[in-house]
Amino acid sequence: MQITGQLTLTVLMGLFLVIIAAWLARIEDWRSYTPLGSGGAAGESGYVSQEKPTGISRWLTTVDHKDIGMLYGAYGVLAFVVGGLMIMVMRVELLDPGMTLISNSFYNSLLTSHGITMLFLFGTPIIAAFANYLVPLLIGADDMAFPRINAIAFWLLPPGALLIWAGFFPLGDIIPAQTAWTLYTPLSTGAGGGNQANAGVDLMILGLHLTGVSATMGSINFIATIITERAEEVTWANLDIFSWTILTQSGLILFAFPLLGSALLMLLLDRNLGTSFFAIEAGGTMLWQHLFWFFGHPEVYILVLPPMGIVSYVLPRFAGRRLFGFKFVVYSTLAIGVLSFGVWAHHMFATGMDPRLRASFMAVSMAIAIPSAVKTFNWITTLWNGKVRLTTPMLFCVGFVSNFILGGVTGVFLASIPVDLVLHDTYYVVGHFHYVVMGAIAFAGFAGLYYWFPMFTGRMYQRRLGKIHFWTWMIGSNITFLAMIVLGYGGMPRRYATYLPKFATFHQLATLGALLMFVGGLVWTYNFVVSWLEGPRVQDGDPWNLRDDGMYTNEWQWFQDRQETAITDGGDEDVVADGGTEE
Amino acid sequence: MDEQPGLSDQYRMASPWPLFVALGIPIAELGILFDVFVVAVAGLLLFCGSLTGMIREAGYAETAWRPLAVFAVLLFAVGGVLAFTDVSLVTRGYAILTAGGILAAAGIGGELFVPKRDPV
Repeated sequence: MQITGQLTLTVLMGLFLVIIAAWLARIEDWRSYTPLGSGGAAGESGYVSQEKPTGISRWLTTVDHKDIGMLYGAYGVLAFVVGGLMIMVMRVELLDPGMTLISNSFYNSLLTSHGITMLFLFGTPIIAAFANYLVPLLIGADDMAFPRINAIAFWLLPPGALLIWAGFFPLGDIIPAQTAWTLYTPLSTGAGGGNQANAGVDLMILGLHLTGVSATMGSINFIATIITERAEEVTWANLDIFSWTILTQSGLILFAFPLLGSALLMLLLDRNLGTSFFAIEAGGTMLWQHLFWFFGHPEVYILVLPPMGIVSYVLPRFAGRRLFGFKFVVYSTLAIGVLSFGVWAHHMFATGMDPRLRASFMAVSMAIAIPSAVKTFNWITTLWNGKVRLTTPMLFCVGFVSNFILGGVTGVFLASIPVDLVLHDTYYVVGHFHYVVMGAIAFAGFAGLYYWFPMFTGRMYQRRLGKIHFWTWMIGSNITFLAMIVLGYGGMPRRYATYLPKFATFHQLATLGALLMFVGGLVWTYNFVVSWLEGPRVQDGDPWNLRDDGMYTNEWQWFQDRQETAITDGGDEDVVADGGTEE
Repeated sequence: MDEQPGLSDQYRMASPWPLFVALGIPIAELGILFDVFVVAVAGLLLFCGSLTGMIREAGYAETAWRPLAVFAVLLFAVGGVLAFTDVSLVTRGYAILTAGGILAAAGIGGELFVPKRDPV
């Protein structure tokens, strides 16, 4: 019986490789028509053709930074929808303490998966989407420094997502991980009588490892691109703020993610091959926490710096003024990048670590408030006396600043040891970081999506729906996360599928806010899908009238050039061949 | 850029290899971690084969044969350590050695028996 199984698997794998080889042969066939290696065609690249392959092959084989940016974007948005639906199920479960919509263990699974999905499958990729599409355009590069590595980095993500979600698919005995995204040992080593020795946890760790490899490859690419591929006129002095944040973020990724990868491998070895890195008698429970948070805290800044870059970039366009104190925003970005590696143990104040160490981590954590506040004040002073236009991207930027202040100030309280000891592991912490990751990071992401939507799609979205989306989210997120802060003051612990009846009102409020955001999400989906398909075409390269205020930038110039070229020679596949009469 | 607007769009950038490099990694990892011989071998072949394709495409090597042989040597080293030292992960080691063997056969066979083409 077992032999038959092995044989079947062998045949299957063989067949799989043969199919790939056959497909490659077809692609190679197409490639043989291109002047490969003849050095004739154009420029240094040597493999130039007039067109990309068509259909699905185009997307599977592309190494063009704009296409890869779109792929990252589609992937990030899809993951955001998945993570959002997960949390909706959880919030409905929390409507009432006696609710039995889902089992407690399924709640734990969703809790784990929601966190990982939002941080690793939505947050990091959506930033990579903007960076891939825009950084080469902003710095005047033809493409990324390593286009193929760029493609590898993206294609590692879909298998990563499938592995992370593997437990939810009907695959025999495999169950979803219930370790929470922090994977604390000894629970995550599978020790004890629980069910976390299940292969579902291994698959999730492998998936996480893949997304880490992907992020590292991407970061190396961005560092190389920004340092070496800038056009002559782009100097360090006039490099735009978004590229600065991407450069800093890539540096953080380069130092943080390989450490996560190593720690995850150690965990896998402990679970499967009998090593004892994290056994109580060896590394103990603290080793994992130190390793994880040495990665985990910089990860927070990996996620927040580029969205801050988007806000610093977009907000001045609709304030009609240049970014106030540009230099100091850049210095603050770099300062946050450096300081972020010195604060990790503030996640561990309640573990009983040495109090003297604790004090130094508290001091550095509070010090981060300084560069963060510098940025916040600079955004506010940019708005001051500006010619403010409240377009949808601008609304999301202002929402970002507002939510970031709330998330940031609650964070300063948490950085203080005595406050942290009271509020540790309560909903206060959940409210704090959701203000930052949802209220700020996701808001900035949507500011970017709306702002560059005309460039990405060539069409305009419906403005009224965009504003409805913003207001449902602004009100919804503040109801939900403020309710969480109050719950935390009341002593409601994190991560539980049920609660004492006295917490019911604020849990119901939190669910109400979540429902409001769900409605806003539906409006946004409808708006983007319908506008992409049949929205009015953008007529010139300046859909936001930036020229009026002298705020026009490189990427829109590129967009305008592309439109003009497309109209002259009909060469762009986005324009219909008969000269674009589809009005 | 201004004299020839849209020029960068003509740098057709397409390569079939990255997708399969990225598929090869998880397949090989799954096979090795869960000790599934065939999956490990197939994943390693896919990974090393696609990398070879990419190296050739980028012009770092003229034919695929030598890079294949280099990957074979690397796999022999890793597989050897797993199978024959104190690490003692014998079946996993043999899977890696098998993949190395297949790559070595392809590399050496190709170098010896496939006629060299004139450069285009």
